[in-house]
Amino acid sequence: MADKDILSELKQSILDFDEDAALELAQESLAQGIDPVEAVGVLADGLNELGVKFERMEVFLPEIMLASDAFKNALSVLEPEIKKKNTEGKKAIPIVIGTVQGDIHQVGKDMVATFLATAGFEVYDLGVDVAPSRFLEEAKRLGAKVIAAASLMSTTRPVQKDLIDFLEAKGVRDQFIVLVGGGVVTQEWADQIAADGYGQDAIATVNLAKRLLHVA
Amino acid sequence: MGMTGKERLTALLSGKEVDRIPVLSVCQYVTYGLMEKTGAYWPEAHYDGEKMARLSAGGAEILHLDAVRVPYCQTVEAEIYGSAIKDGGRTHLPSIAKPAFSLGEEPRIPENFTAKGRIPAVLDAIRRLKQTVGAETLVMGSLVGPFSVAANIIGVSALLKASLRKPEQLVPYFEAAEKTAEQYAQAIIDAGADAIVIEDMMASLDMISPKTYRVMAAPYEKQLIDFIGGRVPVIIHICGKLDQVMKDVAATGAAAISVESAVDIPAAKEEFRQAGITTPILGAVHPIDVLLEGSREDVREAVQQSVAAGVDAISPDCAIAPDTPLENLLELTKAAAELDL
Repeated sequence: MADKDILSELKQSILDFDEDAALELAQESLAQGIDPVEAVGVLADGLNELGVKFERMEVFLPEIMLASDAFKNALSVLEPEIKKKNTEGKKAIPIVIGTVQGDIHQVGKDMVATFLATAGFEVYDLGVDVAPSRFLEEAKRLGAKVIAAASLMSTTRPVQKDLIDFLEAKGVRDQFIVLVGGGVVTQEWADQIAADGYGQDAIATVNLAKRLLHVA
Repeated sequence: MGMTGKERLTALLSGKEVDRIPVLSVCQYVTYGLMEKTGAYWPEAHYDGEKMARLSAGGAEILHLDAVRVPYCQTVEAEIYGSAIKDGGRTHLPSIAKPAFSLGEEPRIPENFTAKGRIPAVLDAIRRLKQTVGAETLVMGSLVGPFSVAANIIGVSALLKASLRKPEQLVPYFEAAEKTAEQYAQAIIDAGADAIVIEDMMASLDMISPKTYRVMAAPYEKQLIDFIGGRVPVIIHICGKLDQVMKDVAATGAAAISVESAVDIPAAKEEFRQAGITTPILGAVHPIDVLLEGSREDVREAVQQSVAAGVDAISPDCAIAPDTPLENLLELTKAAAELDL
């Protein structure tokens, strides 16, 4: 059936990290009346498959970055449709996310942001090199209860602690759920700095956020 | 009477016998504790040769490492090319705020490269270190590999994406970065450094494929090492799980290879043995799990494990986190010194 074809092509566009095809196929899938949640599902399958190959060192970071671009392209078309549907139900939960001050690594944080968005969270991506004060300002402004902070360097990991200390100093620590992640971050570190959770990868972070916020 | 640290490392890097396993930190080793002990602090120590030398000398005087090195960060070259640098203040390293170029722009090589930016301070620090600790300690000048400089001047994302889509567009950046690395290496040698470290952190298989490493990183590393031509030994450091390219890294002609514990070192040693490669491998104590978060006992164990895995000198996997406890770094040198080879 046409449905199946377009979904498998959509997935293939991720495996081929083809941005243009991903966009066109996402539009095509909507035109054919395919559920956008299902379309995002196959895109995520594609990313996961690449993720497994990445773990095995069969594909490398540039492929993942381009696939992530392709994913975002498709998502730019699919996400508004999903939101339309979501607003029919309950309001999405806002989350602010960023890479900590002094650290400009983007890819992993982007991946987590994307997965959180597709899981139905209202994600505000503050970008990279985000100061503790900015995490707090934006979270307040946006009414976000969750702050997700990534660190990808041994030299910037202490900034995750700075963030938590900053929230403590401002007397607002208990108002936020702070999630930490990134290549140099461990559960042990998260425990040590009294973060509320540690997300080892994008999918784990989504599950963690859902669990901590009591959403199924 | 044992060897001095300098004698020990010089022997290792020239394929001679050592009295015990050398211990150094190929990448940056400054911690808040070291700043307090030396009275020289970031960010001033990035810009001032005297403070830079004093802080780095702590590596020998306080940590008892066999080598000292300058600078601390990996932004010196990129800053001169025009990348905007974000100061890290007292607690963090400077980082790239905005790359100098957009892909497709011609990379202009700044004139008098080694007279610009923080290079004069680095060279001043090398000359001072030679005076203060250089009699017994190896003084290393560290520069960034051409592939990684290219990443710092056009942006990591742009470089990685282009490495798949438009590799030809990257060649001018690699060539420019290699040329300026030659100038910088020459200046480091002229300042009297005993060894050069090439940190090519972006040339890691965490970032690129083995094929990309072979085509876009290794040739420029080799060209730079050929230019240095054995006038001083070169230690090359690349992060990540390098198993698939260890022989290629050795083929750059470096006197030693510094790797992370992610590398299967026994397998690499065996591969080297079969290929007749004698390049020493330095490593591989995890800076986070062991040095930052571990106990002194963990450090001792990691040193023993590294030696058992076959490293020829003990070094942390990569840069040490600045909040690493001093006692763990002291344990690193102590544990290495007490080992029987």
